[in-house]
Amino acid sequence: MASEEESTVKEPLDLIRLSLDERIYVKLRSDRELRGKLHAYDQHLNMILGDVEEIITSVEIDDETYEEIVRTTRRTVPFLFVRGDGVILVSPPLRTA
Amino acid sequence: MSTGGGGEKVGGGGSGSAKTPSDFLKSIRGRPVVVKLNSGVDYRGILACLDGYMNIAMEQTEEYVNGQLKNKYGDAFIRGNNVLYISTSKRTIADGG
Repeated sequence: MASEEESTVKEPLDLIRLSLDERIYVKLRSDRELRGKLHAYDQHLNMILGDVEEIITSVEIDDETYEEIVRTTRRTVPFLFVRGDGVILVSPPLRTA
Repeated sequence: MSTGGGGEKVGGGGSGSAKTPSDFLKSIRGRPVVVKLNSGVDYRGILACLDGYMNIAMEQTEEYVNGQLKNKYGDAFIRGNNVLYISTSKRTIADGG
Protein backbone atom coordinates (compact mmCIF):
# COMPACT_ATOMS: atom_id res chain seq x y z
CA MET A 1 0.00 0.00 0.00
CA ALA A 2 1.96 2.94 -1.24
CA SER A 3 0.83 5.79 0.93
CA GLU A 4 2.52 9.10 1.17
CA GLU A 5 3.29 8.42 4.81
CA GLU A 6 6.59 6.80 5.60
CA SER A 7 5.09 3.79 7.31
CA THR A 8 8.24 1.69 6.94
CA VAL A 9 10.41 4.20 8.76
CA LYS A 10 12.42 2.61 11.49
CA GLU A 11 12.30 3.91 15.00
CA PRO A 12 15.36 4.15 17.21
CA LEU A 13 13.99 1.24 19.21
CA ASP A 14 14.00 -0.90 16.09
CA LEU A 15 17.68 -0.27 15.78
CA ILE A 16 18.30 -1.24 19.40
CA ARG A 17 16.70 -4.56 18.50
CA LEU A 18 19.71 -5.19 16.27
CA SER A 19 21.86 -5.18 19.40
CA LEU A 20 19.95 -7.99 21.12
CA ASP A 21 22.30 -10.72 22.35
CA GLU A 22 25.20 -8.40 21.69
CA ARG A 23 27.36 -6.65 24.19
CA ILE A 24 26.40 -3.02 24.64
CA TYR A 25 27.50 0.04 26.51
CA VAL A 26 24.91 1.93 28.53
CA LYS A 27 25.33 5.36 30.03
CA LEU A 28 23.13 5.97 33.05
CA ARG A 29 22.36 8.95 35.22
CA SER A 30 24.46 9.57 38.30
CA ASP A 31 27.69 9.09 36.34
CA ARG A 32 27.30 5.36 35.90
CA GLU A 33 28.14 3.16 32.98
CA LEU A 34 27.32 -0.42 32.21
CA ARG A 35 28.83 -2.92 29.85
CA GLY A 36 26.98 -6.14 29.37
CA LYS A 37 25.06 -8.43 27.05
CA LEU A 38 21.61 -7.20 26.10
CA HIS A 39 19.05 -9.94 26.67
CA ALA A 40 15.85 -7.90 26.56
CA TYR A 41 14.52 -4.37 26.45
CA ASP A 42 11.22 -2.52 26.11
CA GLN A 43 9.93 0.87 25.00
CA HIS A 44 10.85 2.39 28.36
CA LEU A 45 14.40 1.16 27.84
CA ASN A 46 14.04 -1.15 30.82
CA MET A 47 16.72 -3.72 30.06
CA ILE A 48 17.93 -7.11 31.10
CA LEU A 49 21.69 -7.37 30.92
CA GLY A 50 23.94 -10.34 31.50
CA ASP A 51 27.59 -10.47 32.63
CA VAL A 52 27.54 -6.80 33.47
CA GLU A 53 30.30 -4.53 34.59
CA GLU A 54 29.17 -1.32 36.28
CA ILE A 55 31.50 1.65 36.53
CA ILE A 56 30.65 4.49 38.90
CA THR A 57 32.64 7.67 38.42
CA SER A 58 33.06 10.23 41.17
CA VAL A 59 35.06 13.43 41.17
CA GLU A 60 36.44 14.80 44.38
CA ILE A 61 38.04 18.18 44.74
CA ASP A 62 40.94 18.43 47.14
CA ASP A 63 40.30 21.20 49.66
CA GLU A 64 43.86 22.43 49.59
CA THR A 65 45.14 21.85 46.10
CA TYR A 66 41.77 22.13 44.36
CA GLU A 67 42.75 19.36 42.03
CA GLU A 68 40.11 17.04 40.72
CA ILE A 69 40.47 13.46 41.82
CA VAL A 70 38.55 11.18 39.52
CA ARG A 71 37.68 7.86 41.09
CA THR A 72 36.00 4.92 39.48
CA THR A 73 34.31 2.09 41.29
CA ARG A 74 33.68 -1.15 39.47
CA ARG A 75 31.57 -4.16 40.19
CA THR A 76 30.39 -7.11 38.18
CA VAL A 77 26.89 -8.52 38.26
CA PRO A 78 25.89 -11.70 36.44
CA PHE A 79 22.30 -10.69 35.76
CA LEU A 80 20.79 -7.25 36.01
CA PHE A 81 17.47 -5.50 35.46
CA VAL A 82 17.91 -1.87 34.56
CA ARG A 83 15.00 0.53 35.04
CA GLY A 84 14.59 2.55 31.89
CA ASP A 85 14.17 6.01 33.36
CA GLY A 86 17.82 6.04 34.41
CA VAL A 87 19.12 5.34 30.93
CA ILE A 88 20.75 8.14 29.00
CA LEU A 89 22.49 6.45 26.08
CA VAL A 90 22.90 2.98 24.57
CA SER A 91 25.63 2.03 22.14
CA PRO A 92 27.71 -0.88 20.93
CA PRO A 93 30.79 -1.13 23.14
CA LEU A 94 33.46 1.50 22.75
CA ARG A 95 36.38 0.07 20.87
CA THR A 96 39.33 1.31 22.90
CA ALA A 97 42.48 0.06 21.19
CA MET B 1 -2.41 6.20 27.43
CA SER B 2 0.43 6.48 24.99
CA THR B 3 0.78 10.07 23.93
CA GLY B 4 3.62 10.31 21.51
CA GLY B 5 5.04 13.76 22.14
CA GLY B 6 5.40 15.96 19.10
CA GLY B 7 2.70 14.17 17.15
CA GLU B 8 0.16 16.90 17.49
CA LYS B 9 -0.42 19.29 14.66
CA VAL B 10 -1.05 22.79 15.86
CA GLY B 11 -2.87 24.86 13.24
CA GLY B 12 -0.15 26.15 10.98
CA GLY B 13 -0.26 29.86 11.50
CA GLY B 14 3.43 30.55 11.16
CA SER B 15 5.48 32.68 8.88
CA GLY B 16 6.74 31.45 5.54
CA SER B 17 6.91 27.67 5.33
CA ALA B 18 5.03 26.98 8.53
CA LYS B 19 6.13 23.57 9.72
CA THR B 20 4.93 21.67 12.70
CA PRO B 21 7.48 20.09 15.03
CA SER B 22 6.66 16.67 13.63
CA ASP B 23 7.34 17.93 10.11
CA PHE B 24 10.70 19.15 11.30
CA LEU B 25 11.47 15.78 12.83
CA LYS B 26 10.64 14.04 9.58
CA SER B 27 12.78 16.39 7.54
CA ILE B 28 16.07 16.16 9.42
CA ARG B 29 16.84 12.47 9.07
CA GLY B 30 20.27 11.86 7.58
CA ARG B 31 21.50 15.30 8.50
CA PRO B 32 24.28 16.20 10.90
CA VAL B 33 22.72 17.39 14.12
CA VAL B 34 23.58 18.65 17.55
CA VAL B 35 21.66 17.06 20.37
CA LYS B 36 21.87 18.75 23.74
CA LEU B 37 20.78 16.87 26.81
CA ASN B 38 19.26 18.24 29.98
CA SER B 39 22.53 17.47 31.70
CA GLY B 40 24.36 19.85 29.37
CA VAL B 41 26.22 17.17 27.44
CA ASP B 42 26.41 17.68 23.69
CA TYR B 43 26.21 14.98 21.06
CA ARG B 44 27.11 15.65 17.46
CA GLY B 45 26.48 13.15 14.75
CA ILE B 46 24.36 12.15 11.83
CA LEU B 47 20.75 11.57 12.70
CA ALA B 48 19.65 8.09 11.69
CA CYS B 49 16.11 8.28 13.03
CA LEU B 50 13.99 9.53 15.85
CA ASP B 51 10.47 9.13 17.15
CA GLY B 52 7.77 11.19 18.79
CA TYR B 53 9.30 10.75 22.22
CA MET B 54 12.53 12.31 20.91
CA ASN B 55 14.34 9.01 21.29
CA ILE B 56 17.27 9.39 18.92
CA ALA B 57 19.46 7.07 16.92
CA MET B 58 22.65 8.64 15.58
CA GLU B 59 25.75 7.55 13.72
CA GLN B 60 29.33 8.77 14.04
CA THR B 61 28.45 10.40 17.31
CA GLU B 62 30.82 12.56 19.28
CA GLU B 63 30.22 13.45 22.90
CA TYR B 64 31.22 16.90 24.12
CA VAL B 65 31.31 17.75 27.80
CA ASN B 66 32.05 21.38 28.63
CA GLY B 67 32.99 21.87 25.01
CA GLN B 68 35.60 19.12 25.14
CA LEU B 69 35.39 15.99 23.05
CA LYS B 70 35.10 13.10 25.44
CA ASN B 71 33.92 10.07 23.52
CA LYS B 72 33.08 8.80 20.11
CA TYR B 73 30.36 6.29 19.37
CA GLY B 74 29.76 4.45 16.14
CA ASP B 75 26.06 4.24 16.87
CA ALA B 76 24.23 5.87 19.71
CA PHE B 77 20.67 5.66 20.99
CA ILE B 78 19.60 8.44 23.28
CA ARG B 79 16.52 8.21 25.45
CA GLY B 80 14.16 11.01 24.60
CA ASN B 81 13.47 12.30 28.11
CA ASN B 82 17.08 13.44 28.37
CA VAL B 83 16.94 15.54 25.22
CA LEU B 84 16.79 19.29 25.61
CA TYR B 85 16.94 20.09 21.92
CA ILE B 86 17.84 18.75 18.51
CA SER B 87 19.46 21.22 16.16
CA THR B 88 20.72 20.84 12.64
CA SER B 89 24.29 21.86 12.01
CA LYS B 90 26.55 22.27 9.05
CA ARG B 91 29.00 19.88 10.52
CA THR B 92 31.75 18.77 8.21
CA ILE B 93 33.04 15.31 9.02
CA ALA B 94 36.53 16.31 7.95
CA ASP B 95 36.74 18.82 10.78
CA GLY B 96 40.32 19.16 11.88
CA GLY B 97 40.85 18.40 15.55
